[in-house]
Amino acid sequence: MENTKINKQDLKKVSINWLYGSQMAWNYEKMMAPGYLYAMLPALQKLYPDRVDLQEMMLVHNQFFNTTPHMGGFILGIDIAAEEIEGIESKEAVSSIKTGLMGSFAGVGDTIFGVLFPTVFGSVASYMALNGNAIGVLIWILVNIGILIFRYHTVFIGYKQGAKLVGAMSGRLSALTDAATLLGITVIGALIPSVVKAPITWEFKSGEVSLKLQETLDQIMPMLLPVLVVALVYYLLGTKYFNSTRAILFIVVLAILLRALNILG
Amino acid sequence: MNIEIWQIILLTLLAFIGVVEMLGTNILAGQAVIIGMIAGIIMGDIKTGLAVGATLQLMGLGIQAYGGASVPDYMTASIIGTTFAVLSNKGVEFGLSLAIPVGLLMVQLDILARFCNVFFQKRIDKAIDKVDVKQVKLNNRLGILSWGLSRSLPVFVMLVFGEGLVNLMLNYIPAWLTNGLATAGGLLPAVGIAILLRYLPVKNYITYLIVGFVAVAYLSVPMFGVALIGLGLALKAFKDTIKEQNQNQQQTVVYSANMSGGLQDGEYED
Repeated sequence: MENTKINKQDLKKVSINWLYGSQMAWNYEKMMAPGYLYAMLPALQKLYPDRVDLQEMMLVHNQFFNTTPHMGGFILGIDIAAEEIEGIESKEAVSSIKTGLMGSFAGVGDTIFGVLFPTVFGSVASYMALNGNAIGVLIWILVNIGILIFRYHTVFIGYKQGAKLVGAMSGRLSALTDAATLLGITVIGALIPSVVKAPITWEFKSGEVSLKLQETLDQIMPMLLPVLVVALVYYLLGTKYFNSTRAILFIVVLAILLRALNILG
Repeated sequence: MNIEIWQIILLTLLAFIGVVEMLGTNILAGQAVIIGMIAGIIMGDIKTGLAVGATLQLMGLGIQAYGGASVPDYMTASIIGTTFAVLSNKGVEFGLSLAIPVGLLMVQLDILARFCNVFFQKRIDKAIDKVDVKQVKLNNRLGILSWGLSRSLPVFVMLVFGEGLVNLMLNYIPAWLTNGLATAGGLLPAVGIAILLRYLPVKNYITYLIVGFVAVAYLSVPMFGVALIGLGLALKAFKDTIKEQNQNQQQTVVYSANMSGGLQDGEYED
């Protein structure tokens, strides 16, 4: 690239705009389009001194866009690299790069940043917090700062690596997602006995003999009831009548009933 | 205990900043346990804040807003739950019995905020017609009003009218309901966990679910230790996959072309 009109300062502005502004005006019509356009503005103003060109490219970036905010920086970087070389001619290429990448990046980004990080660090933080210890929360905040620093660099990485990035990363990314999923599921296995509280208070009494149901169940398997409750909700969520809100309401009603019947404590 | 005006102001600000920060820099990330801790500090009882936040956090595990779905708002719930747990002096469980309905009701206000931002989208469309870069910037930024107010206004109203409300509830809520909700607080993390398991390819990884369970239920390994076990297993799996891929790559030259094609074809799902 001999004609480097875009400099480090411009990329810095784009990156920072995206970090804080990607979802400010998120809306049902075009989702993250305003955030993407907002982030691109410093680059657009530099690349298109002509008002007509600028307007045309603003329109291109004012189209429906939605991805994981953590991954959007890569797309911005690739987009800027393409526009810098081809200029306004890149209009259609850029649109298809954006729509092509936003879905697949969201798949990876939602799993890693939306599910696995909150699961692992949220579980550790909550587990410690229940015992009155704030250290888990502080660790999580530090991790989030680390993620933010990573996100800041994604625009630069996308810009430098351009299209190469997608091919090179895809293999490693899926391996990374698989490994992170494995870690997440191990932690979830541990969460079931640690955080689902279902103490059975019901006792079977017959004359002198009393049988505590909880003790009997513990001999079969410790924490059997939490496992069964998770399995029940997992099953219910697979039927078409249940979504997360209904599942919550179902469990609330079930809990009130079982408590009133003195079965659960 | 009475709530001071400065506490109401700070908690209202926390709700406003909490949601805007979650959408952007994502350090506090609108997570119930983090926001609960801060609400606890404001109310002068960090332990209650941590406990309320942690319970809500566990209920909401796996409930994330993908592709614009509205989900129970445990961040706002955490602020309300912590505040009233401290104010009522009736402990974490009382706070939770208020927080859970708040979290569910806030779904409607989340929808409203996302809808209101269509207004700013229209103004951005108009600004592009006039090539008015300043207006494009301004209207993107103004979007924080819908987001912030959707959380901070309800918090403000509940805190201002809250004391009377709490006294009313303390007098009139029957014991079976508060007890039942306390039991529900113990069971509800099962929902968050089940949602996570639905989202992740659990059938392929059932081994690791069992490993995690046994580590805690039978061996009493602390949570952080389980995370380390998982990390060790994950590192090994990652290395194995990369090694396998490298071998395949040597065998098939078209490999990388196929992979990038496959990724671009990936369709977008919520």
